[in-house]
Amino acid sequence: MPLLQVRNMTHYFGGLRAVHNFNLVIEPGEIKGLIGPNGAGKTTIFNLITGIHTPTEGQIELEGQSLIGLKPHQVASRGLGRTFQNMLLWRHMNVLEHVKMAQYSQLDYGLLDAFFGTPRLQREEERVTREAMRLLELFDVAKYAEHLVGNLPYGAQRRVEMARAMATKPKILFLDEPTAGMTPEELVQMIGIIRQVHKDFGVAIFLIEHRLKFVMELCQSIQTLVFGEVIAEGPPEEIQNNPKVVEAYLGKEDIT
Amino acid sequence: MEFFLQNLVNALQWGSFYALIALGYSMVYSILMLFNFAHGDIFMVGSYIGLGIATLLLGLGVSAGWAMPGWLVLILTIIISMFLTAFVGILVERIGYRPLRDAPRASAAITGLMIGIILETGNLALLGARRMSFPPLIKSVTYDFGGVFVTNKKILIVLVSLGLMYALHNFIQRTKWGMAMRAMSYDYLAVPLMGVSLNVIAPMTFAIGSGLASAAGILYGLAYPVLDPYMGILLGWKAFVAAILGGRGSILGAALAGFLLGFIEIFVAMIFPSTLRDLIAYSIILLILTFRPYGFFGQAHSTQLRL
Amino acid sequence: MESTKSNPTLSQDGFWSRLRSGLARVPVIGWLAGGLCAVMVEYFLGDALSYYLGLPKIPVLFGFVTMLKKPLLIPSSTAYVILVYLIPLVAVGLLTAGPANRLAAFLHRRALWLSAIIHLVLLYTIIHIWSDISDYRLLLLKLTMIAIMLTLSINVINGYMGEFSCSHPGFMALGAYSASTMTLILFTNDKLFGPALLPPALGPYCYPLALIFGGVVAALGALVVAIPSFRTRGDYLAIISLAFMFIVKSVIENLEFVGGPRGMGSQPNWSNLPTVFVWTVLCVWVINNFVRSTMGKALNAVRDNEMAADAMTVDTRKTKIVTFMFGAFWAGVAGGLFAHVLRYVNPGTFGIQKLAEILAMVYFGGLNSVVGSVVGAVSINLLSEMLRPLELFKWIVIPLLLILVMIYRPTGLIAFREFDVRKILRPKQ
Repeated sequence: MPLLQVRNMTHYFGGLRAVHNFNLVIEPGEIKGLIGPNGAGKTTIFNLITGIHTPTEGQIELEGQSLIGLKPHQVASRGLGRTFQNMLLWRHMNVLEHVKMAQYSQLDYGLLDAFFGTPRLQREEERVTREAMRLLELFDVAKYAEHLVGNLPYGAQRRVEMARAMATKPKILFLDEPTAGMTPEELVQMIGIIRQVHKDFGVAIFLIEHRLKFVMELCQSIQTLVFGEVIAEGPPEEIQNNPKVVEAYLGKEDIT
Repeated sequence: MEFFLQNLVNALQWGSFYALIALGYSMVYSILMLFNFAHGDIFMVGSYIGLGIATLLLGLGVSAGWAMPGWLVLILTIIISMFLTAFVGILVERIGYRPLRDAPRASAAITGLMIGIILETGNLALLGARRMSFPPLIKSVTYDFGGVFVTNKKILIVLVSLGLMYALHNFIQRTKWGMAMRAMSYDYLAVPLMGVSLNVIAPMTFAIGSGLASAAGILYGLAYPVLDPYMGILLGWKAFVAAILGGRGSILGAALAGFLLGFIEIFVAMIFPSTLRDLIAYSIILLILTFRPYGFFGQAHSTQLRL
Repeated sequence: MESTKSNPTLSQDGFWSRLRSGLARVPVIGWLAGGLCAVMVEYFLGDALSYYLGLPKIPVLFGFVTMLKKPLLIPSSTAYVILVYLIPLVAVGLLTAGPANRLAAFLHRRALWLSAIIHLVLLYTIIHIWSDISDYRLLLLKLTMIAIMLTLSINVINGYMGEFSCSHPGFMALGAYSASTMTLILFTNDKLFGPALLPPALGPYCYPLALIFGGVVAALGALVVAIPSFRTRGDYLAIISLAFMFIVKSVIENLEFVGGPRGMGSQPNWSNLPTVFVWTVLCVWVINNFVRSTMGKALNAVRDNEMAADAMTVDTRKTKIVTFMFGAFWAGVAGGLFAHVLRYVNPGTFGIQKLAEILAMVYFGGLNSVVGSVVGAVSINLLSEMLRPLELFKWIVIPLLLILVMIYRPTGLIAFREFDVRKILRPKQ
């Protein structure tokens, strides 16, 4: 059984068709990419699968269970982690709190424990803090634990966001343009981080990206989206040489 | 039926007050995306300024030995106090809102509230706690339209309000300032890039809104000649609710909702005991907002409170 | 983040710098001991001292009221404050710094609750003795503590969660009327509800239940506001909650069986100082626990970015509704206490003016901060009492002050500060 399966997903915003007949299969441990020009509907697809919008038609299944109609936080608790194009970090919270917060659904205490500071709460908070520190160390941002996110260098913010997404214990990780605004060095680092996440956590990864080099290097399989429709799908080399992709997305230019 | 028509006339009159005040709330909201909570008290100040000007003009007339006709005094009073109150509005913008333009919107709401308190207290301190009565500038004449009694004051109030709204409409649609305001209500970050400064448009909006509030205050003084420093609380908050009901930032919506609120209140009082007026009026509003969260003409802005 | 200021300064010989470094070494328990001494001095010597200084009676509020009323008494009032408060406080604080630090260190190693209770008992003793001087002080203290509860509970909604709620006076009214109705029906013989249903002797024991009942009614009211409000974002809640406040006021005005516009009186005198103190401490403690837990930090996540909070498994809608009800609960409890302090409430109390007062306290003190709320409530309350001789102009001075605070610190004086009891109570050496 595939980890995530999307069948015939179509979505309209008002009368506008944003996504048409989208299909996706992600196997456990796979890294898949979604490319396409601006406005092709890539982020919409992310938002549809993660429950921010409900698709007009179609099926979405995670490990055989439908995700249709679930709220975003429920989808996330089922094991679908994500990052955002513009990160959406919480400006008044420090790095450690970010990663603790992402373990919200794993907290094993109730409101009353939170009100009265019971031993159960303290035990849970300690556990969550330990786990958060472990992740922060893994992503090499432990030294910023007490800092507000706004004061961090850009690359570190990206890593915090990855740590935050991994803290939700995802089975599949959605990355929305993880290298947006990065310098070439940071980009190389990012490739390393994604490889590491893939190896250490064994998660499947589905990513949207603009930089082709990055996608080609990481992904085992790539989908190309134009005006809400998939026009090509296959391994990187195939996509690279597919005339439809070259024409619709890359124009006449050289792709490297 | 006559009873109904009689109430309709009263509702139109109340609606005029609400609509004129609500316009000020809505205009400021459309530009700055925040409500001027001092606006109710600007209405009060406008009313008192009107009182002062009218008394002054009447006094001048007497001392000059030529008593000005009441209608002339009224026209002059409205024009002069609209100008003077406009300056109060500009002052409020300068003190309470401009320094906080980059601050969380909630903080600006607080300064607005505080300026309102200062205006009320300032009035009390200057003029004392006794209520003052507005001079009867025009002689009240009652016309009988087949059992429906309409005073000339009511006709005047409704006509002047409609006239002012029409003038505002023309200003917004025809002049370049009006165009800048409209553009700014779409995107207030982009317009300054087009060479129109927010530092011109924002005070202008406050000034126009305050002028209208002042006109409302004088008309209110004509109809209900007893003024007190807290009159702005009563009418201001209701007009604020009308502005919401019309759709935040919508000028047309504010005017229509002002009249609607007048109707709701008068007709509730017609059917139910008058003590239930506020209760039912606010409940109706709550119901309307539950089904139309952005009012009649409002668009869904993403107006998250920024901290 | 508070840093230890105990760096040994050997070479400084100036009196002031030595004093400053000495004061920095006094732990909280030392200050409390100093405060205790000060109020004891006032209790036993206050009358005599004010007589010799030519003051008509003991200055009620640190001499401020006297100074503003009779400028001629400024020197003697100042002398009184220095002799009675400042000198004992500083002297005892400095002299006992050594033992106090050892005690603090001892307590620090023990359980936190023990240390906290000892500090609280000391604090209570101080305010008890202080308030024994006059009924006015007692009333002021009770109202200030109720204001702390109100400010803190609205801070949870307006500060921590970043929504703008205007219905706190409404929640307070719900709490005040529900709790009063319960105590009046069950335990009091009065005009409105007739003879008591239960023996009045039981009353004081059941009083907490009445307060909780008031809080629960307020929380249910909050649910009515919350369900339609949290479907959309933005300032929608502000408007709905404002309308709700007007509706509550208007409903009470029309309910004849609770007295209508005339109000409701003759509540039993059960809001004594210890009761109000205990409830205030409970409120601060529970709210502080909540906002420091990861579950409570979800409020900040929802405020700073709701979409991200949702994607990180936070149930944002539930969080918002529960928090709103939580804030309303404490407003209701505060309302119940308030009604039993004044022993009379009427619907006019719970209007726009009350709202402006509560908002002033929370925004003055600082958003997203327990300390800020306490400071805001205490300073606005004390200020408005101290400036009483200014009469009307008080209501120009305080709003102006708040406008200045908003311009220079838009989120309030002490915003975004964590309140860590352990850090506050630790020894300073």
